[in-house]
Amino acid sequence: MSDTLTEQKPKSVKPPKQKKPASLWSDAWYDLRRSKVFIIAAVMIAVLVVMSIIPGLFSSVNAFDPSTCDLTKARQGVSGLHWFGTDNQGCDTYSRVIYGARISIMVGVFSTLVTTLIGGLLGLLAGFYGRWTDTILSRVAEIFFAIPSTLGALLILALVGRDNAGIWTVVLALSVLAWPMVLRIMRAAVMSAKSQDYVLAARALGAGPGRLMSRHILPNAVAPVIVVATMNMGVFIAAEAALSFLGVGIQSPDISWGLMIADARNRFLQAPEALLFPALFLSLTVLAFVMLGDAVRDALDPKLR
Amino acid sequence: MRVFKGAQIIAGTAVLALGLAACGGGEEAPNPAAGGEGSAAAPIVVEIAEPQHELVPGNTAETSGAEVLNALFIGLVNYDADKKPINQIAESITSDDQTNWTIKLKDGYKFHDGTPVDAQSFVDSWNYTANGANAYEANYFMGSIAGYGEMNPVDPDGDGPKAAPAATATTLSGLKVVDPLTFTVQLANPFSGFPTMLGYTAFYPMPKAAFGPDGKVTAAYGESPIGNGPFKMAKPWKRGVETRISLVRNDDYAEAKAKVEAVDFAIYTDLNTAYRDLQAGNIDIMDQLPAEVIASAKAELGDRYIEQPSSGIGYLGFPTKVGADYAKSAELRKAISMAIDRKTITEQVFSGTRVPADDFISPVVAGYRQGACGEACTYDPVKAKELWDANGGPQAGSIELGYNADGGHKEWIEAVANNLRTNLGATVEPKPVEKFATILDDLGADKWKGLFRMAWIMDYPSPENYLKPIFAANAGSNYSGFNNKEFEELLKKADSAPTVEEGIASYQAADDILLKELPYIPVYFYQTNGAFSSNVKNVKIDPFERIEIANVERA
Repeated sequence: MSDTLTEQKPKSVKPPKQKKPASLWSDAWYDLRRSKVFIIAAVMIAVLVVMSIIPGLFSSVNAFDPSTCDLTKARQGVSGLHWFGTDNQGCDTYSRVIYGARISIMVGVFSTLVTTLIGGLLGLLAGFYGRWTDTILSRVAEIFFAIPSTLGALLILALVGRDNAGIWTVVLALSVLAWPMVLRIMRAAVMSAKSQDYVLAARALGAGPGRLMSRHILPNAVAPVIVVATMNMGVFIAAEAALSFLGVGIQSPDISWGLMIADARNRFLQAPEALLFPALFLSLTVLAFVMLGDAVRDALDPKLR
Repeated sequence: MRVFKGAQIIAGTAVLALGLAACGGGEEAPNPAAGGEGSAAAPIVVEIAEPQHELVPGNTAETSGAEVLNALFIGLVNYDADKKPINQIAESITSDDQTNWTIKLKDGYKFHDGTPVDAQSFVDSWNYTANGANAYEANYFMGSIAGYGEMNPVDPDGDGPKAAPAATATTLSGLKVVDPLTFTVQLANPFSGFPTMLGYTAFYPMPKAAFGPDGKVTAAYGESPIGNGPFKMAKPWKRGVETRISLVRNDDYAEAKAKVEAVDFAIYTDLNTAYRDLQAGNIDIMDQLPAEVIASAKAELGDRYIEQPSSGIGYLGFPTKVGADYAKSAELRKAISMAIDRKTITEQVFSGTRVPADDFISPVVAGYRQGACGEACTYDPVKAKELWDANGGPQAGSIELGYNADGGHKEWIEAVANNLRTNLGATVEPKPVEKFATILDDLGADKWKGLFRMAWIMDYPSPENYLKPIFAANAGSNYSGFNNKEFEELLKKADSAPTVEEGIASYQAADDILLKELPYIPVYFYQTNGAFSSNVKNVKIDPFERIEIANVERA
């Protein structure tokens, strides 16, 4: 996005203070490396990402192969063969939890990407141009903002129907309702950056709107959006699980933690493992992204220094 | 049409989930049944779900309403332990040709308001139920009586834009009152099993007081029905408002008086809550237990736990005429049937509350043959795969398994899907649909191509009820499109046999055709799992899954 960002890599080993004037980003990176919360969150997320890309690395059992399920061994407890026990269909819960990570991570990443790009771009335009552009974009955003997100997502997915339900419909349903939040934050940040002296100076030197936005305003307004985007990732993952739990999100035979929890809830007293382990992984994943967001905010917010 | 969706099961599980989230144990769930009465006159309390309609016999075709009506009313016949009809109000039910029946009544039976139970009270009640304009749930039970067609003209295009022609009669031409204690019934077709139908809720008589000046059954009657049975209403019941239906003993009852003075029916939306109340002694009898507690209930309650076969059968059906390739081929249908591990599914998914099905006729009626289905219903993955491959199964496309998502069917459908994937190597798509009615509508419009789940509870204890309404060419509940001349001939022969017993061989021959063609795959037979508290004894459940309430005693 901006060339100041690229300074992170080579200079990151030593404290950069002496050699170069510190930018917001290098300071933030310096802070982050010293934050325990950030390191724990980063390690957890790294493991989850690897798990979702190459699940075979963690589990020798392919959870998508129905022949690995044995109904006669349904609802067994934790054992050497089945680390997390088995579910109602006699499938290995451990391998299903591992294979279930992919959908959660994908929904989190793609929903965040879509909302950040759409909300960020429209927020930039609204904040920069103001007047009727701002009025129109902000009113439209407020209309979407007024829809309760769970209810709205349920409605969208119910309209889409179970037959077409899948990861992309879930991303769509979540994104449609979440982009206005990013727009608001971006707009506020852009409006405060717009009146800064360096922007006025650039304008006086004849910089056009494109250059002003991309070179001067965006790099200085993007920090709060990044914080919100990181935290949203966890929120989206939890929302996907909730929608799948309610039966409108991911559909079997795809594997989703929310779906696993829904399937296991009726027999919770007989086989608690089948519910507890996907719930645990869901909680840890959401926690990891929220912690990451927290650490990034602490690092980026100058007021907290 | 008594295809059913198992809504009560899902109602239980949904609320269970909320309960887990909300209370987490320790405290007792709110108890709608807790009463403040003294113990001397405390009624026996029976668990039911909310009846679908006000308590009118002709408008009750579900088990909860029937449970209450069974205490308020008695019918022409009752059933013995072998599910054979025995005359109750009827003195005799006779016919020479299985079409024209003469029903003579015993004298001395009275309604709760003191008016006699006469031939006219039966004829009035049946006519009212048979009148399509009243839209009563049990309307189709009258379909075998002559004159039903004139009262219920067929809509030429189903739910389509064309209106049904107007009815040309408001009474059944087949019903004639001869004298106060005799009436005759002319059937549309010979049917030797007619007397077996007459103990059902739909055939109860209603007194003159039921009908208002306009000839309609009054709203007051629905709240406080006047019956002829061992119990009468203690006070009117407002449906949707009150969660208890209170009955007291009818001391003018012509037969042996009921053993307890009062019975309350407590309405529950959650079987798990009801079961906790049973354990706590707040209610006395449940005729259905939540699947989750079956295992522990057996051990905990001992001989206060009831387990007996029920009349329900669970199937997987095929649209045999308009469906996918695998639905059209009898060999492929057989291969699918053989690839399903019924035993493990009934044990693991249903915790033993269902048993593997091996016939189209339920074990609760005469005519059932153990193992009649033979090889086709026996789990044999190797043979199934051979049969599947030899008949073009791999080219038949992916198998769809349709089910209604609100009935607690997901687990067993998923288990079947895994069976088919593993044993046949086929792609299987379980297809949840919001409502059962959607599948039925799609089937009716020839739009459903794959398998669909189906279930049937008998209307009356006769093998005919498991064959004709589901598989006869133009039957109301024939969703498979099955149409077989030989089958029709055998049914006709069986129906016109002088007695039900003599017809059974022909019913079984018709059954054999189904077992060969497999338009449906029988998967499991339902079981009745009930329980009662230590306050009561002598609790029996009849073939309609109703408690024989008059015989229940205090322990």
